[in-house]
Amino acid sequence: MIDGTPPALLCEGVRKSFAGGVDALAGLDLSVPEGSFFGLLGPNGAGKTTLIRSVVGLTRPGAGSISVFGAAAWGDSAGAARQSIGYAPQDVALDRFVPVRELLSLHGRYFGMSRRDAAGRADEMLRAFDLSGKATAYAHQLSGGMRRRLLLARALLHRPRLVILDEPTAGVDLELRHDLWDYIRALHADGTTILLTTHYLEEAEALCERVAFIRSGRIVAEGAPPDLRAQFGATRLEDVYLQLVGR
Amino acid sequence: MTTAEIRRARRRGTAALAEREVLRVLRLWNQTIAPSVVSAALFIVVFGVALGASIRLIDGVPYERFIVPGLVLMGVATSAFGNTATSIFQARNDGFIEDPASSPMTATQLLLGYLSGGVVRSLLIGALTLAAARVFVSYPVEHPAVLAAALAGTSVAFSALGIVVGLYSTGWDQQNVVGNLVIQPLVFLGGVFYSIDALGQPWRALTHADPIFYMVVAARHGMLGASEIDPRLSVGVTLGLAVAMLGWAWVTFVRGVGIRT
Ligand SMILES: Nc1ncnc2c1ncn2[C@@H]1O[C@H](COP(=O)(O)OP(=O)(O)O)[C@@H](O)[C@H]1O
Ligand SMILES: [Mg+2]
Repeated sequence: MIDGTPPALLCEGVRKSFAGGVDALAGLDLSVPEGSFFGLLGPNGAGKTTLIRSVVGLTRPGAGSISVFGAAAWGDSAGAARQSIGYAPQDVALDRFVPVRELLSLHGRYFGMSRRDAAGRADEMLRAFDLSGKATAYAHQLSGGMRRRLLLARALLHRPRLVILDEPTAGVDLELRHDLWDYIRALHADGTTILLTTHYLEEAEALCERVAFIRSGRIVAEGAPPDLRAQFGATRLEDVYLQLVGR
Repeated sequence: MTTAEIRRARRRGTAALAEREVLRVLRLWNQTIAPSVVSAALFIVVFGVALGASIRLIDGVPYERFIVPGLVLMGVATSAFGNTATSIFQARNDGFIEDPASSPMTATQLLLGYLSGGVVRSLLIGALTLAAARVFVSYPVEHPAVLAAALAGTSVAFSALGIVVGLYSTGWDQQNVVGNLVIQPLVFLGGVFYSIDALGQPWRALTHADPIFYMVVAARHGMLGASEIDPRLSVGVTLGLAVAMLGWAWVTFVRGVGIRT
């Protein structure tokens, strides 16, 4: 908060233990500057999804504080925090009782848009994600790639200032992966802050201005990829990763 | 964002969720509306019109007329419960409940949104069952306000109970257990098909412990004008149960049961 404007996301001392004694988050500190393209990297089970769900209000942290553009994510200001986030979960979960166009406009309205604004924006997103031909189909009738795109379109629908993508390209073929990268890059170019998790190092290297490595619920290193490579004397981000979180 | 903007956003979200729940009911009408109305009509034809002639008057009322309010109430109770329990469990099971659950809406507003589907569906079924019954039997509506309170209270109470079960359950079987082994017996033992004046002890005492009995009696008083117990008691218990169930559903949402880990 050097210049007085709060970061897009600020996590301080966030802890979460699940029944069974797993410390998914063990006092995690993270700051994502507004307007940045930020990658959260770590192996399976490191705590990426738990952190993201704590930010969007789906996992209640045991301790610590989380704020989004200065609004606390839990408590009285949770509404303001959530309104500014667009979230695409790791697993595709789409309402299967409403057709695609309505699925999008309903999301916009859940997040406070007027009926008319949401409907217009839904059509815009359908075009942007090449789904116009499927406006009246149901999500379960779409191909896997289309569902991924729809999930992203839904996250962007209410014009959030912070977009959080949890492994947006996991299990996605190469062509769609590059399509998704293009969408996300264009979004970032428009000034939206992006936080994405991935365990694909080349994805982080291709997209992110800043990355943080997470292991066992803690951030173990953070910085711009070139700086991290220099700091660890590595030629590839992968080598940094292996030093930090590999065995 | 100002507080006023957040408040407006939340109102819009609540309206959208309520609309989604109601549209789900209307679009799936052949699963959500028709079966309850048809089965109530069949009860009236078979038990009322066909067998009713061999059953003596109950409290001075012909049998086919006597069972109408209880049947209407039975349809309201079971459809209200089934709607919210199914819709919420479906949304949890598929994971898409996380969309509204991560929106700015408060627990109270999520509750209102999901409640709407159960209330609209069950009251629609109540109204259609009354209309269908008219085809076979004539009946008065002696106290419309009492009938309305009985049906509305039942609708809210069971929609809220369905929400609780939908949030707690971990499988489809659990809602069937509650529906078939708890609600259904309570409905049948609540005096839908008989007057408790016809019962000896201990059945009479047990019936008084059945919450649905008060709802049935309130509905019957609203229609036929006669009641086995003081109508203030039956209407009071019905509305009290609605408030209690609403409170339970609200606490369940606030605690994030079944939604927030
Ligand atoms: N709902 C849950 N109940 C119990 N343990 C959980 C739950 N969610 C996550 N965990 C555990 O927390 C740890 C972090 O998981 P997660 O945040 O999903 O990691 P990642 O997204 O980095 O793969 C893992 O050990 C996982 O098993
Ligand atoms: Mg994950």
